[in-house]
Amino acid sequence: MKKTNKRWSALAVTCSAVLLTACSGNSGVVEEGGNSGSSEDNSEITLWAPFSGPDGPYMKEIVDGYNESQDEYNVNFQIVPQSEYYKTVDLAVNGESNMPDVMVMHGDQIFTYAEKDIIRDLGDLMGDEISVDEYHPNAIEGASVEDELYGVPLDIHPLLFYWNKDMFEAAGLDPEQPPTNREEFIEYAQALTNEDENQYGYVVPTLWPQEFIFPTIVFQNGGELYADGEVQFTSDAVVEALEFERSLIDEYAVSPSDVQQDGEVTMFLQGRSGMHMNGPWMMKQWEDSGLNYGVAPVPQLGTEQEGVYANSHNFVVPESVDEEKLDAITNFFSYVGDNALAWAESGQAPASKAVYESDEFQDVNTQSSQVAKQFDYVKFGPDVENWGQATGPLMEAVNEVLLGQKDTTEALEEAQQKAANALE
Amino acid sequence: MKEAKLPASKAKRERLSKFTSFLFVLPYLLLFLAFLFIPLVYGIYISLHDYNLLSSVQPFIGFENYATIFNPDSAMNSLFFDGLGNTLKFVIFSVPLLVSIGLGLALLLNSLPGKLRTFFRTIYFIPYAISVSVVSIIFLWILDTNSGLLNMYLMDLGFDAIPWLTKQPFAWISLVGATIWWTLGFNMIIFINALNEVSEELYEAGAIDGASAWQKFIHITLPTIRPIMLFVIITSTIASFNVFGQPYLMTRGGPGDSTEVLLMGIVNLAFEERELGVASAMALLMSLIMIVISVIQFKIANRKQGGES
Repeated sequence: MKKTNKRWSALAVTCSAVLLTACSGNSGVVEEGGNSGSSEDNSEITLWAPFSGPDGPYMKEIVDGYNESQDEYNVNFQIVPQSEYYKTVDLAVNGESNMPDVMVMHGDQIFTYAEKDIIRDLGDLMGDEISVDEYHPNAIEGASVEDELYGVPLDIHPLLFYWNKDMFEAAGLDPEQPPTNREEFIEYAQALTNEDENQYGYVVPTLWPQEFIFPTIVFQNGGELYADGEVQFTSDAVVEALEFERSLIDEYAVSPSDVQQDGEVTMFLQGRSGMHMNGPWMMKQWEDSGLNYGVAPVPQLGTEQEGVYANSHNFVVPESVDEEKLDAITNFFSYVGDNALAWAESGQAPASKAVYESDEFQDVNTQSSQVAKQFDYVKFGPDVENWGQATGPLMEAVNEVLLGQKDTTEALEEAQQKAANALE
Repeated sequence: MKEAKLPASKAKRERLSKFTSFLFVLPYLLLFLAFLFIPLVYGIYISLHDYNLLSSVQPFIGFENYATIFNPDSAMNSLFFDGLGNTLKFVIFSVPLLVSIGLGLALLLNSLPGKLRTFFRTIYFIPYAISVSVVSIIFLWILDTNSGLLNMYLMDLGFDAIPWLTKQPFAWISLVGATIWWTLGFNMIIFINALNEVSEELYEAGAIDGASAWQKFIHITLPTIRPIMLFVIITSTIASFNVFGQPYLMTRGGPGDSTEVLLMGIVNLAFEERELGVASAMALLMSLIMIVISVIQFKIANRKQGGES
């Protein structure tokens, strides 16, 4: 839907629904084997994943490794383009056909699918072959809804901190020493800023990835975006987080104003932003650009505690799956838990202890071990239906305040109202 | 006998000719049914149900989805009408420019010598063949407030940097500008063809009567190309109504939600929130509004024509 051209009719929504239903699960699926969707053979399991980016080959490596490691079972790995992923899943669910046996699902989606009884409670799979103890407890929590386990964790991907080592050196800072708290962050940012050269300490984005950055600072302020059945956008922790981000632009002047979509990425790549925060998926782009960068856990920019917003990848099993296949599925999960090192090569950090506690993991690249360092204090989005409709207004408020077009309290009060209305 | 036979063969020929015509229409008819008519009917069906993609039951709820949209207290109401307002703004800003600049460029190219004309016609038409994602990325780079090409030149000339995509009215100016650069070629080509259809004799007669270039344009060119003008206005309006890719990729609906056009809201509702029922109702209402606007444009144009002749 993203590459819509101008001739796109308003009916496209309904058209696509029909077309995609007609094609069912097959739409956009890159097939590895001959058949798509659930297979009759109980030793054959189909896996769907949205890894159409540079992460795809690493998952394929794991699946190929599994298929070669034993003769009993076979996993048929199918990549669905990321932008089409949940659409494809939803239409397969809707058409009640061609569902995969296993699919990769983001942690923030699990609640919706679990509530609708589309994915299976995996509690009965836990036993000798795999157990929850093999994964980081936060990953298990992220894959659970009301203490019932719905997903087997693959990774946790929190926000990360990146810095430009060359710029640190030029500013007289230790290029191997990233800031760890708000004071250091501001101090370093000021040292790195040279407005005459159009060079800044930390360019504050006004759109994505604020979806990761803003909640991170709120958590670090000891706050929540949602608690006690209500949105908390006007709480002190949220207001303070937004005021802090705004102060980087006007009070400390370590960021230019009016940063547009991806403007902060452009400036980091151009060597005109000393520090940057983004997800682990950016690694390939930094590597390709030849940037001399460092990566570390996000400094504590909030006033109270360590914390970082994260999402995760998990394996889930549709409710509709044949019980006979559960042996094969459990066997595959168990293998991935022990052999997910290849996944770390993509810059991600697998959530299985066998991987992230191993020596090989520490050396696989500089990033993945920094990701895992944050596992102990990651925070996920709340389990609320239609949470997306509540974060929409919040991100609009963040956008307007950071652009200097609205007062912080006024914008957040408006967002609070809109979000509460949308969640009703 | 001869006389009786002639009409028979004529009727046969007519039937054959009708059949051949039908064969020519058939491919379009099939595509129309498959991609427009059936989805439209299905869309109406969906809009009458509480159609969440993931729910196992989609109960029939009559016109409740429509009632929700028109209920001023619901979140759907602001989503629809704020989005519609932004879409209408885009239509009002872009259509007059798309039509007038398209015509201006056609006039300009038509007065160029043959080879140059072909050259420039191609140049102006090429952007139309590019996808919206590419257009948006090009403009994102050109317009970047802090590291874009345009602001770099402006600052070299001693001006302040302009927040092209993060402040109004610049965000609209940028979106309309990008759209004009992207789609202008189409209108231009249509106008060039229309201008070639205007009879030279009329201009000669006008010249003999001592008409100025402007008078020739107003009294000869414009009346002759009126049907084409109407076509261009209506297609430009419909295209602008369907704006999605440019704001989705360039401003993300910002600053705030000021460029969040209706289709962005509908697509989000349908495929992120999975509420196909309300989304379909919105899409149908949007089509209805477009149809009404097109009919009004048609009526106005026809009335003018009737009044003059």
